[in-house]
Amino acid sequence: MKSKPIVMDHFATVHTSYVLDFDFTNNITLLTGSSATGKTASFSFIRECMAVNPDIFCLNYQDYQKDIKKVVSEQSGKLIVIDNADILLNDDTRKYISLDDKNQYLIIGRNPKNLFTTSDNLFELVSEKTGEQTKFRLKKYL
Amino acid sequence: MITIFRNKRDIPGDKEYVELNDVFFNQNTVLRLDEKADAIIEDIDDSRLVGKYKIQSKFNGVILDVDCLSTGCKTVLNVLYYPDRVFCLKECGDNALEVLYGLEKGAVYSDYAIIPFEMNEVMVSDSKGTGIISDYEELKEWWGGEE
Repeated sequence: MKSKPIVMDHFATVHTSYVLDFDFTNNITLLTGSSATGKTASFSFIRECMAVNPDIFCLNYQDYQKDIKKVVSEQSGKLIVIDNADILLNDDTRKYISLDDKNQYLIIGRNPKNLFTTSDNLFELVSEKTGEQTKFRLKKYL
Repeated sequence: MITIFRNKRDIPGDKEYVELNDVFFNQNTVLRLDEKADAIIEDIDDSRLVGKYKIQSKFNGVILDVDCLSTGCKTVLNVLYYPDRVFCLKECGDNALEVLYGLEKGAVYSDYAIIPFEMNEVMVSDSKGTGIISDYEELKEWWGGEE
């Protein structure tokens, strides 16, 4: 699905020696790829920003008991970042997300089912070391 | 070889199903880690176990709590140390899958196909019984099959 990001087209933050520098080209970004590339670490850095940035809302496995569709549908104007999406998102929630025009999504997982995504939505994480800093960026997957 | 379930209702009643691999690892598997975990952690996460509860990060060399392992790596270690349980397979990347599919025993579940390109024999278990599959395409077909 090709639709422009409605909340932000760029997100950057720093957490000690880690730098996140993400460019978003779609309203739904599915961040996928091998294990241990830094996806969940990046999630934790973004979640830290929730404390100071009202435009960010994060969910992960610790929200497993919640009604994710209800929680998401109560948000507006947010970049909603979902780690562990493959276990958190059921088909119904995925369909809701695919049609949600109030929020933007960064979904960390491997299953694109019912998100109506194309290769334009699929990204992986790349890291590059500069001195003592490690910078993470999004790169088209495949 | 590992056993794969494609439907939760096919999991025997005496086998507990674990969906949250992170939580299970942090609360249980971590206590069983021994030298068997070293190679797996190095192989999948490119990190080193440097103490009972510590790893060295591949990114900047700092020492981290072992809970910072990837979910894929935690899943493989859960399967390795608890072969009597069935673990959710869905959060494993290709690098974790390749190790997982090579384990001598253990059990996993996913309702959709998750297969590494290089695979060994696996046991599949469904309502019709069990069988052994060693071919990628055949396994994919089994996963897509209706009961």
